[in-house]
Amino acid sequence: MTNQPDVILKAEDIHKSFGNIEVLKGISLEARKHDVISILGSSGSGKSTFLRCLNFLETPTSGKVTVHGEEVLVRNGRPQNARHIEQIRARLGMVFQQFNLWTHRTVLENVMEGPVQVKGESRAEARDRAETLLKRVGLEQRMDMFPSQLSGGQQQRVAIARALAMEPDAILFDEPTSALDPELVGEVLKVMQSLAAEGVTMIVVTHEMNFARDVSSEVVFLHEGRIAEQGPPDQMFGNPQTDVFKRFIAKVR
Amino acid sequence: MLELLSYGDTGWGDEILRGLAITIQLAIVTLPVGLCLGFMAAFASMSRYRALRALGFGYTTLMRGLPEILTLFVVYNGVGLLWNMLLKWWNPDAPGSDFSPFWAGVVALGMVFGAFACEVLRGAFNSLDHGQAEAGRAIGMTRAKIFRRIQLPQLWRFALPGLGNLWINMLKDTALVSIIALNDLMRMTSVAVGVTKQPFTFYLLACLLYWAMCILSELVLARMEKHANRGVRRA
Amino acid sequence: MHPIETLLDSWPKLLDGTLMTLKLTLMGALIAGLLSPGFALIRSHASPLAQAPLRLYISFMRGTPILAQLFLIFYGSGQFRPVLQEWGLWNFFRDPFNCALLAFALNSTAYQTEILRGGIQGVAHGEIEAARAIGMNRLKILRRVVFPHAYRIAWPALGNEVILLMKASALASVVTVFDLMAQTRRVFSRSFDFSVYLWAALIYLCLTAAFVLVWRLAERRLGRHILARQQPRPGAPTPRETQA
Repeated sequence: MTNQPDVILKAEDIHKSFGNIEVLKGISLEARKHDVISILGSSGSGKSTFLRCLNFLETPTSGKVTVHGEEVLVRNGRPQNARHIEQIRARLGMVFQQFNLWTHRTVLENVMEGPVQVKGESRAEARDRAETLLKRVGLEQRMDMFPSQLSGGQQQRVAIARALAMEPDAILFDEPTSALDPELVGEVLKVMQSLAAEGVTMIVVTHEMNFARDVSSEVVFLHEGRIAEQGPPDQMFGNPQTDVFKRFIAKVR
Repeated sequence: MLELLSYGDTGWGDEILRGLAITIQLAIVTLPVGLCLGFMAAFASMSRYRALRALGFGYTTLMRGLPEILTLFVVYNGVGLLWNMLLKWWNPDAPGSDFSPFWAGVVALGMVFGAFACEVLRGAFNSLDHGQAEAGRAIGMTRAKIFRRIQLPQLWRFALPGLGNLWINMLKDTALVSIIALNDLMRMTSVAVGVTKQPFTFYLLACLLYWAMCILSELVLARMEKHANRGVRRA
Repeated sequence: MHPIETLLDSWPKLLDGTLMTLKLTLMGALIAGLLSPGFALIRSHASPLAQAPLRLYISFMRGTPILAQLFLIFYGSGQFRPVLQEWGLWNFFRDPFNCALLAFALNSTAYQTEILRGGIQGVAHGEIEAARAIGMNRLKILRRVVFPHAYRIAWPALGNEVILLMKASALASVVTVFDLMAQTRRVFSRSFDFSVYLWAALIYLCLTAAFVLVWRLAERRLGRHILARQQPRPGAPTPRETQA
């Protein structure tokens, strides 16, 4: 454990350019234990890119990410200590918009894969926890099915169980409900809500205003590659400070 | 080295070019034979008569499952035997004659080409827009006319890539007829090897010539495909 | 002679030949199968410059007759006999079986590489990303995600390639490897009994049919997750498949 046990993830001055276009213009963020941070922003604001920079699915152009004492510094698009990247990824769960389950493995195998292959746990141990987690997301009846046999909402719940199975310090959610049919959004949000209640640290890129307002402990609003406004949800939604955020809330309501 | 490949008595250039000409001739004569067989087999296997469908299926399965060289020997030896039998039956005094290796090659390679072409054509036929045939029927065209005026021109577009592949395969398969003593590129190369004792040089030369023909074919086919696809919007 | 008598007379030779055909085909396919994954990765990931030699090799193998490739190796090696003797390789190239195997393996490697490349490029990007996100290293991602999918996608085409290889193996008869084709020709040249060709054809067809069957069974096993989608039974859990 590090000296500051409650800071789990720290991102400092993250820049990201695609060609000549600078998408992220220096974003810093700190997540403490039990934080639920919602990242809002209109499309093109860079919110998904920022999230993907946290576990290096996108390599930032420059910046520093620290997770659990593992630190990766990036200069000129080159990570200085790239070996830490895989360790950081193992400590950060990720849930994708398109679920991205491994379609050639059963639900149970999907959840066991990380613990067995990355953390080197025994199959028995991994299976026990996978079964517990699948029960927790309400899918104990579906464990031996393949992802293609499940609805989108069910698949996303498997993806959440898969992320939890790694016992991560925090979970990143990249628009977890955007690819779902409207009637399936609720079941996924309910699972996320219960995770928040149990104290799982979460960073969520989302369009679900209700989730941002009611569940998260902090809201970050990105605009044109910068943090335009940031604070607790009551304050943000009750008394928005900037014009861009005011316009944003007005539009999505 | 250059002398070996030159024209005239000292070099093998002219012999090898003559072999190349035979190879090209064989491929060009085989193509229409194979296409005809392919169309016939495709019609048979889409026919409403069960016996015809079985015949089409049997033919394609057989030809696609057998080594080309076996087909070639069956045709060369078998048809040769049959031909002589007929000849003797017609006129007991007739001298036995060999089936020409060239025509044995045309028949064998054509049969192989036809079997694979059948699959290509059937696939192409199935990808045709069904509605256009219906539109033809709606304005009172006969089945034959619908086929000729509407389906055939479009069939071409779907079948061309597959048929192009078959052409290239057949071009390479022509090398097999050298085994039954047709003086094609491969055989003339072997003759040159026998005299010069330079097997690697000459077989490499033969390879390069085949390679050049294949690459040239691919270029021409790409052009033809582009031409066939004019007026079709890309998705 | 009656066809049955022909078979009774010549079955030991045909059996010998069949075994040789199987040996050539399976060994050739296996060697190509071992080489192709690495080559396919180069074809799908390496820089164009690094790919250039591989592309040339594949184009050559696909653009020239196998018979010519076989002659180039078997007869062509004779031109370098002193060098090969010096390197101790001459004994290898003197044996027609080795040359045939080498030619077929090299040829099939080219085709299998291209087939497998197609498979690799067909793997859903999201699944690779999920594997990266969970902390797998490159090797593990290839082993656990990319190749299982790539082989499933490429499987039918790979099966076709093995059948083509079996058919091509009949060319070994030309350089005096006594495979099924060579034995058949030997019987024919002694007896001028045409029916031996028909028996050989039947054996080749049976080999192909048996192979197609085995390949389909394997495909079903590989493609459990796809078959499952075709018969969705959301209510009832499928029988437990616990071993990965």
